[in-house]
Amino acid sequence: MIETQNLTKRFGTKTAVNALDLSIGAGEFFCFLGPNGAGKTTTIKMLTGLIKPSSGQALLGGFDIQKDPVKTKSLIGYIPDTPFLYEKLTGREFMRFVAGLYQMPASALNGSAEELLELFEIRHVGDQLIESYSHGMRQKLSFASCFLHDPKIVIVDEPWVGLDPKNIRFVKDYLKQRTREGMTVFMSTHSLSIIEDVADRIGIIHNGSLLHTGTLPEILALSQNPGSLEDVFLELTRGADA
Amino acid sequence: MTRAGAMLRAKLRIVRNHFASVRGESKLKIAVVSVSAILLWCGAYYGFWEAFNWLRRFGADPGGISLGDIIMSRLLSVFALALFFMLIFSNVLIAFSTLYRSREVAYLLQAPVPWWEFYIARLVECIAFSSWASAYLGSPLILAYGITNGAPWSFYVAAAAFYLPFVTIPAAIGAVIAMSLVRIFPRLPRGGMVGVSLLAVGFFFVYLRDVFSSVNLSDPTISGIIDAMTRTQSWLLPSHWASRGVLAAAEGEAGESVFYFLLIASNALMAVLLSAVFAQFVFYPGWSALLGHDMSRRTPPGRGVLSRIDPVLGFLRDPQRALVLKDIRLFWRDPAQWSQFVIFFGIMAIYVASLRDRSAAFESAAYRNWIVCLNIGACTLILATLTSRFVYPLISLEGRRFWVLGLAPLTYRQLVWQKFWLSVCTTSFFTITLVMLSCYMLKVEPIFFALALYSIIVTNFGLSGLAVGLGSLYPNFHEENPARIVSGMGGTLNFLLSMGYIVLVVGTQTAVMQWRALDAYTHAHTFAYALTAAVVFIAILSAVSTWLPMRLGLRNLNRAEY
Repeated sequence: MIETQNLTKRFGTKTAVNALDLSIGAGEFFCFLGPNGAGKTTTIKMLTGLIKPSSGQALLGGFDIQKDPVKTKSLIGYIPDTPFLYEKLTGREFMRFVAGLYQMPASALNGSAEELLELFEIRHVGDQLIESYSHGMRQKLSFASCFLHDPKIVIVDEPWVGLDPKNIRFVKDYLKQRTREGMTVFMSTHSLSIIEDVADRIGIIHNGSLLHTGTLPEILALSQNPGSLEDVFLELTRGADA
Repeated sequence: MTRAGAMLRAKLRIVRNHFASVRGESKLKIAVVSVSAILLWCGAYYGFWEAFNWLRRFGADPGGISLGDIIMSRLLSVFALALFFMLIFSNVLIAFSTLYRSREVAYLLQAPVPWWEFYIARLVECIAFSSWASAYLGSPLILAYGITNGAPWSFYVAAAAFYLPFVTIPAAIGAVIAMSLVRIFPRLPRGGMVGVSLLAVGFFFVYLRDVFSSVNLSDPTISGIIDAMTRTQSWLLPSHWASRGVLAAAEGEAGESVFYFLLIASNALMAVLLSAVFAQFVFYPGWSALLGHDMSRRTPPGRGVLSRIDPVLGFLRDPQRALVLKDIRLFWRDPAQWSQFVIFFGIMAIYVASLRDRSAAFESAAYRNWIVCLNIGACTLILATLTSRFVYPLISLEGRRFWVLGLAPLTYRQLVWQKFWLSVCTTSFFTITLVMLSCYMLKVEPIFFALALYSIIVTNFGLSGLAVGLGSLYPNFHEENPARIVSGMGGTLNFLLSMGYIVLVVGTQTAVMQWRALDAYTHAHTFAYALTAAVVFIAILSAVSTWLPMRLGLRNLNRAEY
């Protein structure tokens, strides 16, 4: 579902992402892990078509995001760490707006919008202006709007900020459930315990280069002294620095 | 519904919700702003009406067209030309902000929206943003012209119909310029933008200077003025089509008016189409390069200059010194802020410098005194614009960082007065220099030189007090964009009160200067009393404008809970 070939991004003389080759299948929960400034956000911005790669290509659902952006973007949903929401729209108005962007028929919209608002427990504030929402409510609305058009691929960038433990658990379970239904999730996060819970495969990026990919046991096995994912992650990135 | 339609519909809802939420604001604030806006519109209408009536009487020929009629119609054409260039200039900046800098752009671009649909929706926003102010201030002019000349209803219909295609063309041109600049200068987009904007303003002034250079201001001949006005027209310019079409409607020439309407409307549509095709190819590479530039780490510009300012501020003690340095650094590193400062004072400096060429023409002392009054008026208006635009949002901009200041061993009194003194010291340097230069160039009498200097010094205090005080009284800690902070209720109130303050100060000064002429005529010898009264009045007015808002603002900050 997600395929990157030699994906590279250079900012002047600095290479932010270096020849990234990834292959993520349908229904896979892929977690992207790396220290601050490793190139995670740049990769996500290339996958979502927000920036052009310096070289290489990113294929999502079989489409090149650069060559066929509209078709590709209609397949994906994106949840950034700090979501953009129109402060002067109500939650329901925002959902209608998103439905318009994805050209959803009105009949399909009403049911699914209400279901998602209910699912993310923000239906009761659906007619209130977003400016009055708490950070957690905004994040939930961002999730609800992302799933409105039933994306085949969801790209998530550190989504846990502002969510309480109950909602973190809910979102984690919801994303996992959707992957079982065939949706692909590409998630960048620093929450190692969550990765341990949900990841089918993990990719570790450091200084713009992909160090390792593999399942949790495969990643843990990379360490000479297997411990928690945290220990292994620190050991691998320290080793790469050295 | 198309995606562009969805975006525009959301914008309309935002506007509707915004107006709905205004109802929850203080009734007093709404009343003050509404009444002020209506008064400003009525004042503009009255001014235009008087001017057109005067022109109508000028050189009146009972049997035919008066000279005033010719000048009036030419004035409308010059107004349309000036508006056209101003719209291009403002649209470059608005398009840059709307197409690239707005936070929602990244959100919209990750959605499956074709580039041209995205562009069209944003262009409509640019048109709305750039044209409302000219519609607000242009409508009294059109109405006054129509009523003075007894124009038929078709004139008003034509003026309204021509407006949309007229503002669309500069919006499309401005968007194309902005996209080209971002594509060519992705590393220095704002710097490039400012540079090209300054160049455009410079070219426009050179063009006007060239056009009017034949007119001798000391002995203006009507034929020279009309000739110069005629030379500002070109059959290739949309401003010419609009003014010709509207004037034809006023004269009942329906066929000619329709011809010009079709001409400007078809050109507007073509401009939108061509710019959308241009956007299809140029927008995304520019956006990507700009975003890439934002994501790359870099050393901030101006470190050398800033490191030199640090020791200069050695006389200040912390925490004031730390606050002043922080404010200067943030201002310096945001070209969107200082570029406007440079543009305002740059234009004023060009004007003052040109007084050298014209000073010989101002041989009459009365004429010179009027020019000095107008200079101070212009200087204080620029000052009010700067304090409203840059000083007013200073407290609000602390916004989410307020916890840093709140936890620091620093009182709100120190914070608010630091902003005040920073404003006074910065703006005084520029305004006092400009007033001194203009007085020197015009060789005004020492007494009026001193009065002008006095007025501009105290005005710096009064306007800074108003801006900092009202900025503390109506802070908006949720907004990061200074332009949006300024456009709120408090910002508008500050601007209107600043205007009122300026009218009183400059009006008092003008009255005293003209008193002298009257004194000489009547031999009453009351000038000294009038001068003293004016000085005292301006001092009291400025003290109240400084002290009262600062006190109210400080009280509000101390009471507020964060």
